[in-house]
Amino acid sequence: MDRRDFLHLSTSGLGLLIGASLFAPAAAYFLSPAWKKKPEDWIFLGDIHKIPVDRPTKVEFVQRHKDGWTTIEEKKSAWVISKDGKAFTVFDPRCTHLGCPYRWDEGRGEFLCPCHNAVFSKEGEVLSGPPPRPLDRYAVKVEAGKLWVLPALKKD
Amino acid sequence: MLSLWKWFQERLGWTSIQQTLLERKIPKPGRWAWAYTLGSATLVVFLIQVLTGMLLGMNYSPSPDHAYDSIRYIMTQVPLGGFLRGLHKWGATAMIVLMLLHLMRVYVMASYKRPRELTWIVGIFLLLASFGLGFTGYLLPWDQKAYWATAVGTNIAAQAPFLGEWIAKVLKGGEEMGALTLSRFYAFHVLILPTFLALLIGGHLFLVIYHGISAPPSPKGQPEGDYKKLKEEGKSFYPHSVFKDMVMAVLVIGVLFFLSIHFGADLEDPADPTDSTYNPRPEWYFLFLFQALKLFPGSLEAVAAVVLPTVLILVLILLPFLDRGEKRHPLARPFWMAGGMLAFGFIAYLSYQGWKSPLVNPTIEKNPFVLEGQRIYSQLHCAHCHSIRGEGGGVGPDLAIAVSKRSDEWLANHFRKPREVSPGSLMPELHLLEDEIQSLIAYLREKSGGGIPLQAMKVFEENCRSCHRLHGKGEEVGPDLSQVGNYRKAEWILRYLRDPRSVNPEAAMPGFETLLTKEDLEGLAHFLANQRGQ
Ligand code: FES
Repeated sequence: MDRRDFLHLSTSGLGLLIGASLFAPAAAYFLSPAWKKKPEDWIFLGDIHKIPVDRPTKVEFVQRHKDGWTTIEEKKSAWVISKDGKAFTVFDPRCTHLGCPYRWDEGRGEFLCPCHNAVFSKEGEVLSGPPPRPLDRYAVKVEAGKLWVLPALKKD
Repeated sequence: MLSLWKWFQERLGWTSIQQTLLERKIPKPGRWAWAYTLGSATLVVFLIQVLTGMLLGMNYSPSPDHAYDSIRYIMTQVPLGGFLRGLHKWGATAMIVLMLLHLMRVYVMASYKRPRELTWIVGIFLLLASFGLGFTGYLLPWDQKAYWATAVGTNIAAQAPFLGEWIAKVLKGGEEMGALTLSRFYAFHVLILPTFLALLIGGHLFLVIYHGISAPPSPKGQPEGDYKKLKEEGKSFYPHSVFKDMVMAVLVIGVLFFLSIHFGADLEDPADPTDSTYNPRPEWYFLFLFQALKLFPGSLEAVAAVVLPTVLILVLILLPFLDRGEKRHPLARPFWMAGGMLAFGFIAYLSYQGWKSPLVNPTIEKNPFVLEGQRIYSQLHCAHCHSIRGEGGGVGPDLAIAVSKRSDEWLANHFRKPREVSPGSLMPELHLLEDEIQSLIAYLREKSGGGIPLQAMKVFEENCRSCHRLHGKGEEVGPDLSQVGNYRKAEWILRYLRDPRSVNPEAAMPGFETLLTKEDLEGLAHFLANQRGQ
C-alpha cells in the first residue's frame, strides 16, 4: 500500500466514523417513541344506574395524563352499552378501520362510521365496510354501583 | 456604480456563469414551449411557500394548547395574516398541481430516457417530499380537519406489514396523538422536509443544466435527432426561455392571489378527539388513497393502504429502466401511454368518488363564541362548584336552570362583580375580559338549550306536543324530536316550521308561518336544534 492509498482509505474510514457517530444517536433519538409504553389507569365512568339500558350511550370522561412535557386533562369518550343494567360493554370510540369517530344511529340501530361507511351492530360486529375486526372493547369493572374502565386497547 | 458591478462580476466569475447558465442554448421547443415552463413555475411556488411559511412561523406556536389559537390570531389579528395563510394553503395545492403537470409533460415526452434517468428519479423524490410537506402541514392548525386527517393518516401507516405499528408510533412520537405529534410534525414541516427539498431541487437543477433540457420528441417513425445538433440550432436560455417562465410565474402568482383573496384558508373548530359527529376528509391529493381504502375489506386493507402506493412509487422510480429504447414520441410508446392514462384515469376517478362521497354525519355548525366559552369554563374550573344538567359540583346553582332565567345583561354584570349583583354569593371575582364574558354567556346559553328556552318550551307545549314527543312526553303522531339537533341545523328546522312542504312535499305537518310570531318561530327552531338526545 503506498502513501496515497493509505490516505484515501483512512479519509474514507474517518468519514464513515464521523457519519456513524452522528447517525447512531440521531436515529435512536428519532426512533425512541417506538419503544415508549403508555401507563394505564382505571377511569371512573359513571354510576351504573345513570346508564340507559339497552341503548348505546356515549360517555365522556376526563383522563389526566402526561403528554410530552405537559400534564393534560384530556377529554375522551367511550360507548357504553348494557343489556340488563348489570353487565356492561364499553367500546373504544374509534373505528377499527382507521380510527374515525363512529356514532350510534338510533333509527337504524347500528353504529356508522363516516370515513369509509363501515356499519357495526349493537354488539360491535362488522356488518359492512372495510374494518378488519369488531369494535375494540375496554376492560370493565363494576364496584359499588360504579362503572370503571381501563381505556386502553388490549394488544394481543 | 459601474465599477462596483465590475468588482462583483470579477469575484463571482460572472462570465462563466453567463456562458454556462444564461447563454446556454435550448433546443427549439416547438409547440411544446409552454409545457417547458411547468418546472420553473413549480420552483416559483416553492419559493412562495418558503417566504409565506417563514412569515407564518413568526406567529405560530406548535403546541396543542396554543396552535389553534395562534392560527386564529394570524387569521383575525395580524394584518394580512389571513391573506398570507391563504397564499400558503393555495400555494401547497398549486405546487402539487404544477408538479403533477410537469411530471405528465416529462412522461408524455419520455424525457426521462438516457441520459436523464437520474433527473427523473430526483424529481419523484421531490414529489414525495412535497406530499410529505402537505401531510405534515395539514396537522399544524390543530383544528378538527387537521386532527382527524392525521389520525387517519397515521393509522394508514400502521397498516404496513410487520413494521406498521412502529412506524405509526415514530410518526406520532408516542402511542397517542398529542403534543409530541404536533412538535414532530412541525419539525418535519419546517426543518427536515424543506431542507431535503432544497437539496433535491439543487440536484435536480444541476442535472437539468448539466445534461441540457430534453428536446421535443421527433415525429412518430422518425429517429430521434442528434441532441448536440438540436441544441446548437436552439436559442439562448436568456432571454427567450426566461421570458416565458416569467409570464408563467406572473400567471401562477396572479391565480394564487385571487384564490387566497377570494377563498382564503379556512379554520374549523378546534380539534376535539371526543367528537363523534365529524366527517374526516383528507386533503384533495390524498383523496384517491382515502377512497381506495373503501374498496379493500378488512384483511386486504394493507393492499390498498401500503402495497399499491408502494408499487406505484416503485414503478415511477424505475420507469427509466422499464421503458427503454430510443423512441420518445407518445404514439410510438403505446404500451406506456395506455398504462399511464389508465393509472391517471383510475386515480382521478377515485379522487372524484372520494370528493363527492356523501358525508355520513350531519354537519352541525358551532358558534365560535360557544367553543371559546367552553374553554374558559374548563380553564376556570367552574365545574368544581357548578353543575350543568347535573354534571359537576354542587356548591353553586345548576347553571342550565339559573342561566335560562336571567338576561344577558344580568349575567354579564354578574360575571364582572358577582358579589355586588348577588349579595352573599360565594362566587369569586374572575377578572374576565369583556369578550371572555360574552363567550361564557354564549356557552352557558347553548348548554341550557338555546337562547329563550322557557318561551320556546311554552311554544312547544302549546303547538307541537299534540303530535311530537320530546324526552318521553307528547304524542307519537309525528317523529320523536328528542334527537333532532343531531341531524338538523336551526336554519333547516326554521324553514320546515314555516312551510314543511317546501322541504318535504309529502309532509303532513301544517306550516306555522302565520300561526306564530317570527321570534317564536326562531326561538323554537333554535330550541329544537339544541335537542341532542339523552
Ligand atoms: S375509518 Fe371507519 S370505515 Fe374507515
